Amino acid sequence: MIRHTIGRLAATVFIAVVLAFFALPMLWLASAPFDASPAITTSIPDFTLRNFAAILDNPYALGSIRNSLIQGGGAAALVVVLAALAAYALSRVRVPGRDVLLYLLLLLSSVVTGTAAMVPIFELATRLDLIDTHLGVILVVSGGLLPAAIFILKDFMDETPTTYEESARVFGASSLQILRHIVIPLVRPGLATIAVWALASVWGGFLFQFILLRDPAKAPGSVILYTLYTEGGSPRLELISTFSLLYSLPVVAMYLFVSQRYGFRFHGGIKR
Amino acid sequence: MISLHGLTKVFPGGVRALDGLDLTIADGEFFALLGPSGCGKTTLLRTIAGLETPTSGSVHINAIDVTTLPPGRRDVAMVFQDYALFPHMTVADNIAYPLRIKKVPRPERATRAAEVARRLSLPGLLHRRPAQLSGGQQQRVALARAIACRPTAFLFDEPLSNLDARLRLEARTFLKRLQRELAVTTVFVTHDQAEALALADRIAVMSHGRMIQVGTPAEVFQRPATPFVAAFIGSTPMNLLPGHITSGTLHVAGATLPAPAGIADGDLVYGARPEYLELLLQARPDAFPGTVSVLENLGTSTLVTLETDDTLIQAVVPEGDEPPVGTPAWALPRRSLLYRDGRLL
Repeated sequence: MIRHTIGRLAATVFIAVVLAFFALPMLWLASAPFDASPAITTSIPDFTLRNFAAILDNPYALGSIRNSLIQGGGAAALVVVLAALAAYALSRVRVPGRDVLLYLLLLLSSVVTGTAAMVPIFELATRLDLIDTHLGVILVVSGGLLPAAIFILKDFMDETPTTYEESARVFGASSLQILRHIVIPLVRPGLATIAVWALASVWGGFLFQFILLRDPAKAPGSVILYTLYTEGGSPRLELISTFSLLYSLPVVAMYLFVSQRYGFRFHGGIKR
Repeated sequence: MISLHGLTKVFPGGVRALDGLDLTIADGEFFALLGPSGCGKTTLLRTIAGLETPTSGSVHINAIDVTTLPPGRRDVAMVFQDYALFPHMTVADNIAYPLRIKKVPRPERATRAAEVARRLSLPGLLHRRPAQLSGGQQQRVALARAIACRPTAFLFDEPLSNLDARLRLEARTFLKRLQRELAVTTVFVTHDQAEALALADRIAVMSHGRMIQVGTPAEVFQRPATPFVAAFIGSTPMNLLPGHITSGTLHVAGATLPAPAGIADGDLVYGARPEYLELLLQARPDAFPGTVSVLENLGTSTLVTLETDDTLIQAVVPEGDEPPVGTPAWALPRRSLLYRDGRLL
C-alpha cells in the first residue's frame, strides 16, 4: 500500500517536472514582455508596457511581420496550389515508378532545404536576380516544402472515391471543373492543413531568409529577431521577448481559426 | 437506340473483359446486363458511358458513332452502385449539378431540381446533405440527378444492390414504373437474376466477356441457351444431370424416358427446374428415384433434395406436402431441356 502511494507520488512529481520544463519558456514568453527588466529567469513582472513602445520604435519590427506574412502567405499559396495539382495527378494517373519518385522527392527535399544546398541555391538566386526579393525566398522555401506537401495531399486524394469524378465526367464536367467542384471541396481539410503547415514553417524559417535577403526592410521577423542585440553582442531580452510574443500571435490565431473551421485531419478522407 | 459492333476491351495485363460484342438496344427499352462478377458487364456499361475506351469495335448512340467521344458528350446519365452523390453538396445542388455543367441559369436549375424531386417524392429533403439520407432516399436522389439532365439513355450500375432486401423489392417496382413513364432507353447491370427477370424487357446473359444469350425474360427463363444460363437463371438452380440416348430411349439418373424425335443417340445433359418436378411416393419408370435428404423451407413451398448414390436432384413441393427426411421418393419431370455439346437441343 505504502509502496503504491510512493510510486504514484514519484510518478506525479516526475510528470510535474517534465511539464514545468516545457511550460516555463511559455511562461517566460508571457511575463517577460511586461517586465521592466526581464532576465533569463521567470519571475513576477515589474509591470510595464514600455517594451511594446520600444519595439514599435524599431524601424524594422512591424515591417518584418508584414514581410513574414508576404513570404509565408506566398509560399503557402504556391505550395497548396502546386501540391494539390501534383497530388491529384499522382493519385489518379498511373505513372510507372510513382511511389519510388515520391519517396525520392521526400528524401531529397530534406537535402534541398538543408545547408548542403545553400551554396548552389545562392548561386542560382544570384544569376536569376532573385537575391533580395520576396519572390526568391518564396520560390526557395516552397521548393523545400513541396515534396512533403504532395506526399500528404496524395493521401487525401487517394481516399476520395473515383466514382464522384466519374459521375461528374459523365455529366460533362471538364477536368478543371471536376477539380474545382468536387475534388477541392472534398480535400479542403487537407489543403488547410498544408497551408497552415507551410506558413508556420516559413514563419519560423531563418537560414534562407537570412542569406537571400540583404535589405533589412525586406527581412522577415525571424531575421529581425536576430538583430535585437546590443552593440556589445548581448541579447536585449526585453525586446526579444516582446517581439517574440508579437511575432507568434498571428500564427497562433491562424492555428486556432483553421483548427476550429476544419479540424486537423491527417488521415481524414470522407466517411461513407 | 444503342448499338455495339465487335466491341472488344483488353485491359493492360491481357484480361479480355469484352470479347467481340454485337448488340442493339431499341429505343425506350429496359435492358439488363446479367452475369456473375467478373463477366464484363460493368466494363460494358462503362464502355457505353465512355469511362472505358474499347480496344476495338464501336459504340453508336442514336446512329452517332460515340466510340471516341468523351463521356460528357454522349448524352447519357449514369447512376453508380455507390450512387456517387457529392457529399459536400445539398440534395438540390446534387440534382442540379448536371444543369450547372450545362450552364443552365440558376433559377431554372432550382425549378427543374424541385420538379424532379417532387416526381421522386423527395421534396423536404432538398436542403439535406447525402449523409443525412437513408439508403433508399440516396438512391432516389441519384436517379433524380440522372433524370434532371434529360439524357437519351440511362446507365445504371447495380442500382438496387446497396439497398436492404425489403426495400429492394419496393425500389424495383418503383424503378420499373419510372422507366415506363419516362420511356428512356435504359441499360442496367445486375448480378441478381431475379432483378433482371423482374425489370428488364430484354436480358443479355454474359460470361467471360461474351454474351451467351440475349432474349426476353421469358425466353431466357424457359429456353436457356446453354447449361451455364440454365444454372444461372431461376431462383433455385436447375437440375443438370448427365444422360444417354440409345435407340430412342433416354436414360438419366435411374429413370427411363422416351427420347424426343430427331435427336441422335449419344451422351447429353438433361435439365429440369425444381419447380417442374413433381414429387411422388410411388415408383414409376419415368421418374427419378432417390431418398429425401434435405428439406429447405421457402415459405409457400419447400425445396426437397433427393439423394442417390451419385447425384442430387432438387424438387419444389407445395407448402405442407413435403415427405419426411429419409423416405424414398420419385421426382417426375413435367418440363425438361436437353443440352448436347453445351447447346440447347
